[in-house]
Amino acid sequence: MISVRHLEKWFDDNHVLNDISVTFETGKTNLIIGRSGSGKTVLLKSIVGLHEVDSGEIWFEDVLFNKLNFTEKKKIRKEMGMLFQGSALFDSLTVEQNIQFPLDMFTDNTQEEKIERVNFCLNRVNLINANNLFPSELSGGMKKRVAIARAISLKPKYLFCDEPNSGLDPPNAILIDALIKEITEEYLITTIVNTHDMNSVIEIGENIVFINEGSICWEGNKNEILHSDNEILNDFVFANALAKKLRNPLK
Amino acid sequence: MIKFLTQFGRYFLLLKKVFSRPEKPYIYYKQTMHELVYLGFYSVGIVSIISFFMGAVITLQTAYNTENPIYPTYLIGLGCRDSIILEFSSTISALILAGKVGSNIASEIGTMRVTEQIDALEMMGVNSASYLILPKIIATLLFFPILTLLSICVGILGGWLAGTSAGVITSENFIYGIQYAFIPYYITYSLIKTVVFAFIITSVSSFQGYYVDGGSLEVGRASTKAVVFSSVLILLFNVVLTQLLLS
Repeated sequence: MISVRHLEKWFDDNHVLNDISVTFETGKTNLIIGRSGSGKTVLLKSIVGLHEVDSGEIWFEDVLFNKLNFTEKKKIRKEMGMLFQGSALFDSLTVEQNIQFPLDMFTDNTQEEKIERVNFCLNRVNLINANNLFPSELSGGMKKRVAIARAISLKPKYLFCDEPNSGLDPPNAILIDALIKEITEEYLITTIVNTHDMNSVIEIGENIVFINEGSICWEGNKNEILHSDNEILNDFVFANALAKKLRNPLK
Repeated sequence: MIKFLTQFGRYFLLLKKVFSRPEKPYIYYKQTMHELVYLGFYSVGIVSIISFFMGAVITLQTAYNTENPIYPTYLIGLGCRDSIILEFSSTISALILAGKVGSNIASEIGTMRVTEQIDALEMMGVNSASYLILPKIIATLLFFPILTLLSICVGILGGWLAGTSAGVITSENFIYGIQYAFIPYYITYSLIKTVVFAFIITSVSSFQGYYVDGGSLEVGRASTKAVVFSSVLILLFNVVLTQLLLS
């Protein structure tokens, strides 16, 4: 479980996160949704420690993460996996080397054990015979799957996904969503997904936080989100033409 | 002024991160070997070509400027040798390498920054500054002196070939000239300068790349800044080191 309490973040005069308090549950896909520029990515990066927060608390179980030093944070970081918006695969390494990288850095496994784990992770994301390809040779969907494989290679307790299906076609986006949900349930991970894709919300949104202008505006789940009276939320949820058409029968 | 001091402080804070204890020395060793080839060995060609023509031009210009019967012709060889060892092989090669290696380092690290690869390393708990920059610094500190020695040899060879081909000096006189009144300390002086220049090129370029903020335009700007700042610092330290080591 990850708990965030009274989080504040400023960039110069810009108040990006305003008194954010929320709990992300274990074994569930927790979604942070909101418009572009609402503060989703800053919140996610603050939780994982890539941004220093100005005030507030970030708890990983019973550990106050944001007060730890670099070495202490490292212990928790080994339990984290993150899928970045642009996949963030290392260009100079092959798929196999990318997934093996965390194992090289943080385990004393033999090369055979590492390769076995790499192949397991690749199988888990349904990617076979791609071991020797470089990131530049992969499609967008394949890159995301390799990034997920890398994120789970150290058997993380926490998985963070920043816009996991941005730039993907709908079938691939659904595939990535399903994969994240399956992995979360299978390994009982605390997963936080940052998205503005309403399809993801409906598919995997077990616990949803809607952020607007740096503040939490609404909390609920995928069943409640379509029936909310929150005007700002509704403007976001029913923003596109298809959703607007579907909204009337619901009302 | 405040901006300059802030950047100065950030540079030293980055160096502090770079020189912290490596997580897995074996991985750093592998990276260093990779960088030795990539930053060092792949620069052999450009350094050789430039040194060859530099030596040739120095010989011809020295011959042109000493066209007087009172000067013995072997002085052309001596002038070529001392110019190459004292100045050209270390400083000019460093300026060329600032362009080639410096821009390469800044754009590589800068691209890693804007594509979130550095964030990915930090997320895993890896000291990204140390992992990315330390092997490059070690590789250039080890290989650039070898490039300087190569540059000296190729430069003198170029001078000999140009001088004898153009008929401005005989082979015997040139060889006598390059052996005449040779001071071995000049080689040490040249190598010390090279080591300092190697550190400047790698650390300044890495700093420019590591703190890129934005997209491809900023990566390009960082690359340009890396070359400009490295070159200016090389020229500045050239004066300082010359005064310190030769006075």
